[in-house]
Order: sequence, then structure tokens, then C-alpha cells
Amino acid sequence: MSLLEIKDLHAGFEGTEIVKGVSLTINAGEVHAVMGPNGSGKSTLSKVLAGHPSYEVTQGSIIYKGKDLLELDPEQRALAGIFMGFQYPVEIPGVNNAEFLRLAYNAQLVSKGEEELDPLDFDELLDEKMKLVGMDPKYKDRFLNDGFSGGEKKKNEILQMAVLNPSLAVLDETDSGLDIDALKVVSEGVNKWINKDNALILITHYQRLLNYIQPDFVHVFGQGKILKSGDKNLALELEKQGYDWVVTETAN
Amino acid sequence: MSDAIAELKGEAGVLELHRKFLETGAVPAFRSINEKAIARFEELGFPHPKHEMFSYVNTHEITSTPFQLGTGTVEPAFVDANTYASCEKSRIVFVDGAYEAGLSNTTGLPQGVKLVPLEEALTQADIKTHLEKTIEEENDFFACLNAAFLKGGLLIDVSAGTIMESPLQVLVTGTASKTPTAHHPRLFVRAGRTAEVKLITKYVGTGGGYLVNSMQDFLLDDGASVVLARVQADHAQSWHAEKSRVYQGRDSRFTALCGSGGNKLARVHNEIRLQGEGAEASLSNASVLIDDDQSHHFIRIHHEAAHTISHQLFKNVINDKGRSSVDGTVIVNEGAQLTASHQLINNLMLSDTAHADTKPNLMIFADDVKCTHGATVGQIDQDQLFYLKTRGLSEELATELLTTSFVESLISQIQFPEVVVDLKNLLLKKLEVKSD
Ligand SMILES: Nc1ncnc2c1ncn2[C@@H]1O[C@H](COP(=O)(O)OP(=O)(O)O)[C@@H](O)[C@H]1O
Ligand SMILES: [Mg+2]
Repeated sequence: MSLLEIKDLHAGFEGTEIVKGVSLTINAGEVHAVMGPNGSGKSTLSKVLAGHPSYEVTQGSIIYKGKDLLELDPEQRALAGIFMGFQYPVEIPGVNNAEFLRLAYNAQLVSKGEEELDPLDFDELLDEKMKLVGMDPKYKDRFLNDGFSGGEKKKNEILQMAVLNPSLAVLDETDSGLDIDALKVVSEGVNKWINKDNALILITHYQRLLNYIQPDFVHVFGQGKILKSGDKNLALELEKQGYDWVVTETAN
Repeated sequence: MSDAIAELKGEAGVLELHRKFLETGAVPAFRSINEKAIARFEELGFPHPKHEMFSYVNTHEITSTPFQLGTGTVEPAFVDANTYASCEKSRIVFVDGAYEAGLSNTTGLPQGVKLVPLEEALTQADIKTHLEKTIEEENDFFACLNAAFLKGGLLIDVSAGTIMESPLQVLVTGTASKTPTAHHPRLFVRAGRTAEVKLITKYVGTGGGYLVNSMQDFLLDDGASVVLARVQADHAQSWHAEKSRVYQGRDSRFTALCGSGGNKLARVHNEIRLQGEGAEASLSNASVLIDDDQSHHFIRIHHEAAHTISHQLFKNVINDKGRSSVDGTVIVNEGAQLTASHQLINNLMLSDTAHADTKPNLMIFADDVKCTHGATVGQIDQDQLFYLKTRGLSEELATELLTTSFVESLISQIQFPEVVVDLKNLLLKKLEVKSD
């Protein structure tokens, strides 16, 4: 059974269709890269996967671990092992970063019928994960994403992923805003997380990321659809030639 | 109790009650104040619905209820339960408006802090003059009634240079009553030159049915500092009226951080006069209102001298049919140059039936000033809520986290840790139960 199976998905926003017939199958152990021009609907697709209430699915289906994903609330999807790394993480002043992570971690344990981790043990786990993603411990005591630089926000997304250890992670342009050193550290962290039981969807604008995290599949996204799929060589071609040729090729 | 006189309602009822009070309950030392004040009340009358001072506060229930004067008692255990641990030897207790020396313990106060019964303090000409003069200028009927029924109270006299290391707690208790009772506690705080005063006022009740109509004067001499934490934890079925008048000398600092749980009608009036150059006042309040709770704030800050500074921050979380209002005007007098004033009112609405009125206002008669003011009324941010949910937090927990964080940042600024804990229990607990 596939981990995720998207079939002919149409979705949009206030009557405007943005995702226009996406089909994509993802098996455990795979890394998929999704590349495509700005405004083509990549973030919309990821928010639909996460269950954002502003977007409406008008057609198609998403099956995750054999279950109808569209039936689940965002928190149920998270507890079922889906993690969304946002392109633009929101700032939440007043909510302590470490405290929030502990609540999220414990929510997962409780949903599995396990006992909550006590604060001291969690602190240890958090320190270890922060080291993994190269994040300064001072960010524990900050308010969630509040006043973080673009790069720190992205690192904080990866930190959350490392703590929550999902089955399927969607990272939406997590590499944008990271300098090359941070990108290397973060990629290393992600590579350590990857195993035969989980899967990763990397939405990215830059082939650069794929030097550090090797994709098994590359999909070109355009006008709300997957226009072309291939292996990692497709990404190299895109980097050299841009997206236009794919759009032209598939228009015929 | 229920003689015919008491059944008289409205202004006539108040005047009858006052006549009875003068005959039987009054203290001679306050006689002239009582009489001046009831005369002022007669001039003012109860406010009509469009009264400037009560635009957002419906006083109808209070003005149409025939109140008796409360004379209840409380158990020492109740007082102990409401005393902060660090204030066991520095607490003064009012029960139904009367200072109760027996329940108070002031053995821990520093030398320079003198507690003087107000009737004794009246022998000091400046105190007497202040109390009488302020009546003539008073436009708030609640404050007039406090003076009209004044029969006790306390002067907290802090001598020049005295530093209070730990706070003095003032516990104001209303007792449960089947028939409505009113009581009128009075405090007079005088902080001498460069004195540092720390004060916690906490309002509680043993049950519902009372109206606490409390009044405080703060006189700050040059360089003095007053740090006040105020906890309004009255019984839900009570009424709370309160006025603070603050007079600030040169370079003095008045800082009040408050938490309000609201009740049938809680209304706080702050009148702050920055009279000396360099004086600074800071006023903050967090309210959490559920069910039919109401909490209203009426603020007038007068910048009467140059280089004076004022800050105001109000945060209200309102659920169910809760009501809040913040009506605040900053007045910068002619000649009060180089003053700065900041005012911000934030409301977080958790239900369609919650109600918030805000009126931040500036009246500036000087030309070189820096003033900002603003108000927001908002709901829970849906993107923030979604973000938390995508991390596996339930709708309830995510909502609680977002509402809690809204007021927590303000409460956490209170410098007395026990009050922070108490307010979190009082206010944040209300959000837990009601996270529907
Ligand atoms: N919440 C929204 N409100 C208005 N327009 C939106 C919203 N979300 C997406 N869109 C529109 O949908 C299109 C696709 O956006 P997006 O999914 O962010 O693309 P990508 O991530 O590929 O850059 C864009 O034209 C964008 O303006
Ligand atoms: Mg995008």
C-alpha cells in the first residue's frame, strides 16, 4: 500500500480553482521533489494536504495510510504523521517556543496511548534536536517564530519536524532563506531522519537543495498540475533551461 | 433591616439611607465631609444614560437597587486563605468597608510606614483640606457616595526615603448578603520624598450580593515611587466600583498593573495628575470576562507639567456575553511641553455575543508632545490557530494557548510572583473551562 495517493485533485479558494487535477503516489522510503514557477499552486497543494480551512477540494481524493485524508481535521492529520513545513510560518507572540514544542510532542504521545514526557526529559530531547538542525538554544525561550529571521523560521520548522518525527513531511521552500552553511546542516539533519518507513516531499525553487538531499523523483508543477515527472536529472535540466520548455512541451 | 425607608429606590433611597446613617452610624470626625459629599451627590444625581462618564456603563441595576450598609464579618481562615505568603506580616483588611485591625497584621512593616486611622489623620490640615476640596471637584457619583458614607478608612503614611522591600497587601472583603449591601472602603496613601511604596490591593467576597465602592488617594511627593498590583477577584454576583486619584510630584513614578475578573458590574475610574516635571505614570490592566461578567475602565490622565510620561495598556479577553469598555482620555495641558503618552487597548473576542467598547482619546493643548494611541478588536487569528493544529494540538488546546498568551505577557510583568500566580489562576482558569 502506498503511503499517500493523490488522485485527480482539484482544489481552490473562494471559487477560484488553483490545483487543477493533481495525481501523485508516494511510497514509504521515497523522496519527491516538486519544482515549478511561482504562483503555480505548489503551496496551495501543500496547504490542502495539511487541511487548511480556507481551501476547498472540489474533486478527487487523497488517501493516506489507507484512510481518506480529506475526512480528517488538521490536528488529526498531524497526529496521523503528516508534517507540513510552511513556506511562511506564522509568528505567535506570547507562546513560548519550547513549551509549544513540548505540548505538540506530548499530544502525539497521548494520541498513541503513551504517557507524556516530563519537562526535564523533553528539554534534553529538545537540546539534542536543536543541535541536529544547528539552532541556538536561546530560541527555546523565544516566542514562537516571533521576530525570527527568515532563516531561523525555516530552521524552526525543521526543528519541529525533527521533534515530531512524522511519517510524511512536506517541506514547502524550506531552503529559501537559508544560507549555504545552514542549508548543509539542515540537509544533514533531514538526511538522518529519512528512512525506509517515511517519505518526504520537497517543494523547492532551487536545484541547489537537491545536491544535499537526493530525490528519487522530480516533478515539474505548472498551472495547478504536475506537467512532467522524472528522476533527479530532470532537476538539473530545469536549472539549466528553466521551466518554459516543459510548459511548451506539455502544451502540445 | 427591611423597614419602609430601605425600600425607597433611586436617589431618594440613597438620601434616606444617608439620613439614617448620619443619625446612627456616622463618626463625628467625618460629619462635614459626609454632608458636603451628599450635597454634591444631590447636585450630580444618578447619571442619565448619555452621561459622558458612563457612556458604556449601564448603571441602571445599581441605581435602582435599594442598598443597605453592610456590616458582616469574616473568619480569620478566609483572610489567611486570601493573604499572599510574603504579606502575612504586612496586610491590612477591610470587611464591608471597615478597617479591621483584629484581622490585620502590620508587624512586618518598616519603621517609616505608619498606618493612621483616617479620623485621626483628619487633624492634619493638609489631609482634611485635600479630602474636602476634592469633594467639590468630584463629578463621579460613586466617589461622592464613598465620601458621603465615609466613617473610617486608613492613611498609609510612608515617610521620606523609606524603602519598602516587600509589598503591603490590602485585602478588601465583601460579605455574602441576601439583601443587597453597599460598603465604602477608603485608603489614603502618602509617599514622602523618594519613598518607595509597594502595594497589593485584592478584592474578594465571601459570597454575592454586595457592592464594594472603594476609593483611594495617592499623593506622591518628589521622587517617590508607588508600585501597585491590583487583583479584582470579587464574587461573580457582586458589583464593584472603584476610584483612584493619583497626584504626582516631580520625578515621581506610579505603576499600576491590574487584573480584573469582572463581576455583575466592575467599574474602575482612574484620575491621574502628573503635576511635577518628569513624573511618570503607567497603568495596565488585563481582564478575562466570561458568562455575564463586566469590567469597565474610565481613565483620565492629566499631563500638567513638562517632561511627563504616561503609558496605558489594556488587554481584554471576552467570551460569552461578557462586556468590557475602556474609555481613556489623556489631557496635555498648555505648557506641558515634551510630554509623551502611549495608550493601547487590545480586545480579543471569543464569542459573537461578547462586547467591547473602546474610546482612546487625546486632548492636547501643548505643541511639542509625543502621543500615540490605538485600539484593536479582534478574534483568534485563524492562521495562528491552523498552524498550531498542524502540529497536532487540539482546537481547544490551541485556542487556550492563543487566548492565554494574549493576557499572559501583561500579567507576567507584575513584580510580585505570588500575584502573577494568583492572577493566572484567577484569569487563565476562566479560559480553560470555557474553551468551547
Ligand atoms: N489565500 C489565498 N488568497 C488569494 N489567492 C491565493 C491564496 N492562496 C493562493 N492564492 C493564489 O493561488 C495561486 C497559487 O499560489 P501558491 O499556491 O502560493 O503558488 P506557489 O506556491 O506555487 O508559488 C497564486 O496565484 C495565488 O495568488
Ligand atoms: Mg509557494
